[in-house]
Amino acid sequence: MCELFAMSAGYHYTAQEYLPLFADKARDNMSGWGIGFFREGQVHIEKSCEGIYAGGHVHDSFQRLARVIGSRIIISHIRCPKSGHEAESSAQPLTDFFLDHHWLFSFTGEAPNCHAYESPRPLMRDRLVAARVFEFVRDGMAEQQAAWPENSLYQALAVTCKKLLRQYPGEYAFFMANETVLFAFLNHGEILTYHPPGAPGESIVLTTVEGGLTRDPGFWHAYPNENLDHGQILIISGADLLYLGHV
Amino acid sequence: MCDLFALSASHHFTAATSLPLFAVRGRKNVHGWGIGFFRQRLPVVEKSGDQVFADGRLHVSFQRLARVVNSPIILAHIRYKSSGEVDDCHAHPFVLDFWGQSWIFAHNGKAPAIELYASPNTPGLEATSDSARAFEFLRDFFLNAVPRRPHTPFVAILQEALILLLQRYPGEYNLLLSNGQVIWAFTNHRQFLMLKGSEKLEDALLLTTIEEGLSSENWQRMAAREGSLGLLLLIAGGDLVLMEDLLP
Repeated sequence: MCELFAMSAGYHYTAQEYLPLFADKARDNMSGWGIGFFREGQVHIEKSCEGIYAGGHVHDSFQRLARVIGSRIIISHIRCPKSGHEAESSAQPLTDFFLDHHWLFSFTGEAPNCHAYESPRPLMRDRLVAARVFEFVRDGMAEQQAAWPENSLYQALAVTCKKLLRQYPGEYAFFMANETVLFAFLNHGEILTYHPPGAPGESIVLTTVEGGLTRDPGFWHAYPNENLDHGQILIISGADLLYLGHV
Repeated sequence: MCDLFALSASHHFTAATSLPLFAVRGRKNVHGWGIGFFRQRLPVVEKSGDQVFADGRLHVSFQRLARVVNSPIILAHIRYKSSGEVDDCHAHPFVLDFWGQSWIFAHNGKAPAIELYASPNTPGLEATSDSARAFEFLRDFFLNAVPRRPHTPFVAILQEALILLLQRYPGEYNLLLSNGQVIWAFTNHRQFLMLKGSEKLEDALLLTTIEEGLSSENWQRMAAREGSLGLLLLIAGGDLVLMEDLLP
């Protein structure tokens, strides 16, 4: 299974302490990687179809990027060989512009039925579940906001995720962020959150990697989800988990 | 009754159009004004006990600040005294630190019951008003909740704090609370008016308690529903991210 990473902070931060740990812990996923972040409201994505870990070392570019990238929100994805994709273009995160924002999106899970979704505005031609899920979520949220502009983004996302689970049952976990807020959704596995001890007001790290990324597992808090018919949405902004909702 | 204003965007904005309109439309509030924002991670508050609008003119400093303050989040308050003295110290917004962050707070409404609240923590706010005590109450609740931080969403703690506040110190609370990254807004009386994508004012998310809004555009009225203790809003960037009733 692919693995997800996100870091959110109140101000521009680098994830240099955590991204290499993420790469190390997810080293079995040798099929590609990506890091997405925001700079002055624009999305930047660096990705590769090369293995994240080879010859006993984390990929050189990944390490350098981890040191250099500074952003309020950073999302990373390490691709599983089982995904069946090798092209760099189908590595994640993905991006699109909707609801007045550039968004980053990365996904892990299994939802083969989702290939049947035909968006009026396809993101890419590749047969990529992540792209179909992103299209579904984007289209659903845009539709909700157009019909009920007075509703919150959370309401739009919750209604859309409910539809996703009903129409295309499967295993989903994704991170989706604009420049100020990060949404995490899951209906299987778990998402773990971590506030660096000593500086809890500075940043929050999220990952799907079992047990977390650091040597202090006690500081990681897991949000598991076992019932595929129901999901959870976490809202993160700055250094805080602001909200946990059930779908 | 005091009035509140907030601007929220994903990038820096000045509120050069909407802030003066806010002051003009809220000119019945004659006991002071204040503007709060964040520079880097530090809160900056400029406030005064002077009338914001007198002799047919806006306070000169308010006007100048409205043109100059440039931030993704701007909060403003114009005061009609219901508690405490009329001076700079009692004008809003107020600033306190908790949860590892600095917070700016502004309040509208009458809550005389909380004037008796004595915070066990320091620093205290110098002002002797219901608003100052309400802010200290919220700060104190969050200080006690710090051990729960790793596994409790912020909203859960804020909801608990508000419910306890309303139980122990019933009153009218419209409040804005910001750490420079998000704005939490709560109302249990009157309303908030919200506008997104204005063509006449700033193209950010604008929020005010002024009943008719700040322009002739389609302002959305948001108020507590019957049966709820109040309405809680979370605003980040230019978006309303969450809107929830506060339930007993």
